[in-house]
Amino acid sequence: MIETFERPATESPAKKSVAGPVELPPSWPTAWVPALSLVEVKATLGEFEVLREVTFQAPKGRQTIIIGPNGAGKSTLIHCLLGQIPHEGRVFFDPPGPRLGYVPQRPDFDRFLPLTVGEFLALGLSRRPIWLGLGRATQVKVKAALELVKAGSLYGKPLGGLSGGETQRALLAAALLSEPDILILDEPATGVDVYGEQLLCEILEGLKDSFTVLMVSHDLATARAHGDWVVCLNRRVVAQGRPEEIFQPQTLSATFGLHQGLIFGSATGSPSSDSAAGPACSHG
Amino acid sequence: MVLLQSLYDQLAFFYEPMFMRRAMVALFLLSLAVSGAGVLAVSRRMAFFPDTVGHSALAGLALGLLVGLDPQVAVILFGLGLGLLIVFLSRRAKFGADTSLALVFSGAVALGLALISRRPRVTAGLSRWLLGDILTVGDEEIVALLGLDLIAYLIFLGLYNRLILTSVFPTGLTRQVWVDYLFGAFLAVVSVLAVQAVGVLLATALLVTPAATSRVLAATGRSFFWLALVFSLISGQLGLWISYQPGVNASAGATVVLTSLGFLALAALGRRLVGRV
Repeated sequence: MIETFERPATESPAKKSVAGPVELPPSWPTAWVPALSLVEVKATLGEFEVLREVTFQAPKGRQTIIIGPNGAGKSTLIHCLLGQIPHEGRVFFDPPGPRLGYVPQRPDFDRFLPLTVGEFLALGLSRRPIWLGLGRATQVKVKAALELVKAGSLYGKPLGGLSGGETQRALLAAALLSEPDILILDEPATGVDVYGEQLLCEILEGLKDSFTVLMVSHDLATARAHGDWVVCLNRRVVAQGRPEEIFQPQTLSATFGLHQGLIFGSATGSPSSDSAAGPACSHG
Repeated sequence: MVLLQSLYDQLAFFYEPMFMRRAMVALFLLSLAVSGAGVLAVSRRMAFFPDTVGHSALAGLALGLLVGLDPQVAVILFGLGLGLLIVFLSRRAKFGADTSLALVFSGAVALGLALISRRPRVTAGLSRWLLGDILTVGDEEIVALLGLDLIAYLIFLGLYNRLILTSVFPTGLTRQVWVDYLFGAFLAVVSVLAVQAVGVLLATALLVTPAATSRVLAATGRSFFWLALVFSLISGQLGLWISYQPGVNASAGATVVLTSLGFLALAALGRRLVGRV
């Protein structure tokens, strides 16, 4: 979504050591700084304990991918981060009280509302009411954000008429316009065709090193291709590490259950750890 | 008042009787505020809001009499309270706007009936509050409508984008609670004043129909707003004029409603032929 969330600074106790409230995992590169640390986060929905003692870090300025099967609590975790679901445990941000840009999974919205993509992006950006038209500065910013997500041609199109992939890109542009400290993407590849997935890959590559990205995905190929850091979640953290550590048959079957090893065997077969090349991405 | 008088003199070209000139001005002022409010209400799925708040006038009046408040003030305050209650219910109890509206509607009408049935004499002036008539509008109501336009355009200028943004994604994780409540309060005041000026039927119709017509035709958020204003102004004035024709001689409010619905039907047909604008 386009809103930014200013978490109250009280919820991120900056007085405590920001550098590491918990010990960093062994494979964590020394040059990295955690932008986000979760310590024993627990969440229950009704009677059901969705997350138990989730502890992990996400490096600043890099892409962290949370993978896990359906029902692993991935989306719940994101809602905890956004402060939307009550939870136990602690969440540390560096800097405290960051702006969070959030792109939801399969957004549910009124598709018949007359609104162009450009107007939609201007809503969160400018106070000038859209019925007076967009100001020049707003137009320039909005078009630039759309170019960044390779969606410049969508500017004048009705928001309700977009395909799944186009909607995702429009929402991503909206999130980027809010200049977030951390960009949170919930399953950005859901409902996107192969071409859209390809585009998404290229966009994520373009964002590399400029934003802290936290992305939830059940798509292992995307995680392998783009993740700087991968967290395997199945209601608790099964493993976290660099992609080349994580994409081992043992780790994957521990996260996803038995037969996933067969399905993803080919994806894990390649020894390449070059983060730019992966099965979902054939750049160039 | 002197200004109003000279305005009425100018309008002698259109209508001979003074009540028709007043109705013309009242409908014009009402259209200005109500069209934009309708665009927002329709976008936020609160189209039944004016109906609910309008019918609450009964309970507002009765409560005002109980407490000894001026009826006008009592009706506005009670409507305002209900507006905030509707927003609270749809936010906190997660009923959604439609269910919240239905709950508050039945509750307010029942409360009004229960209170009124204990004091039968009150019912005398009641029909004015529920069925207000555009042809009996007085100068005070016209001044009130002018004030309403002022408030409305302050809101349309300052909060329009936020209100549209939260209506594109109603389930979105917004933190701007006060915007929802402010809009609820605004819509409540629009509804109460509109109902007092023109009655429940015409108030709801003027609020919702031009916005719905515009929604059928508009391709952009910009044209959504402006087309609603144009349809609201045209159906108000044209409806009034038709109702005054000797061969027709029908209720002005009802004719305005039917005219605006006629435009909606034309718009639906026209879109097939021409497309959106």
